[in-house]
Amino acid sequence: MLRLQRLIQSHIVSGAPLIAGEATLTPQSHALIVRWPSGGFIWNRPVAILVERGAQAQRIPIRDLTRIVQLGLLGLSVVCIIVSWLHMR
Amino acid sequence: MKGGIAVSDTFSDFTQAIGKQREQNMGLMEKLLVAAQPGAVYSEPVSSGNYMIITASEVSAGGGFGGGLGFGTPSTDDEVSGDEGARPQRQESRGGGGGGSGGGGGSAGRPVAVIIIGPDGVDVKPVIDATKIALAALTALGAIVMTLRRMRKLSHG
Repeated sequence: MLRLQRLIQSHIVSGAPLIAGEATLTPQSHALIVRWPSGGFIWNRPVAILVERGAQAQRIPIRDLTRIVQLGLLGLSVVCIIVSWLHMR
Repeated sequence: MKGGIAVSDTFSDFTQAIGKQREQNMGLMEKLLVAAQPGAVYSEPVSSGNYMIITASEVSAGGGFGGGLGFGTPSTDDEVSGDEGARPQRQESRGGGGGGSGGGGGSAGRPVAVIIIGPDGVDVKPVIDATKIALAALTALGAIVMTLRRMRKLSHG
C-alpha cells in the first residue's frame, strides 16, 4: 500500500496568494503524479480559487467545460453501443 | 585471469556510465515535477485598468528513460601449441560488450478557464475547445447512426 502511495500521488496544492484590492485570491490545483523507476507522468489541473475578503471566504470552482462535454458525448456513445448490442440479442 | 580483469573493468565502466546517466535522468525527472506546482497551472496576472486576468490551464507532462548493457561471451581460450617440449601458450581474448541508454518525454497544456478579477468581484469564464468537442460529437453521431441503422435493419428483417 505504501509502495502504491509512493507510485501514485494525488493531492490538492495551493499556490501563492495574490492580493487584488481588498481580496486575497489563493489558486488551488489538483496534481496527479505517477512515478515509476524509469520515468513518470504528471497531470495538473485547476480546481478552484479561494477568495477571501476580510472575514468572508468564498470558494469558486473552476469547471473544465470541454472535458465535461467530451465525457458526456463519450457516455452517449457507450450507451448507444450497449443499446444496439442488447437489441441484437 | 587477465581476460577476466578486462571484462570486469569494462563492466565497471559501463555500470558507472549507466549510474551517471541514471542520476541525470533523475534530475530531469525532478525538473518534470515542476509541472505539479500550481505555478504551472495559473499564469501570472495581467492587469488592465481595474481588471486583473489570470489564465488557468491544464498541464500534463510525462517522460521515461531506460538503459541496458550486455556482454558477449568471451571467445574460448585457444591453445596455440608452441615448439615441441615448450609450454603451450594461451591466447587471451576479451569479451565484447556494449551498452546504451535513452529517454523521451513530452508535455501538453490546454487553457481551461479565465479568471477575471474586477470591481464587481471574481468571475470565472470557461474556455471551450471547439475542435475537441466537434471531434467527440462526430464520434457520438457515428455511434448513434450505427445504432439506429442496426435497429432498423433488425426490425425490418
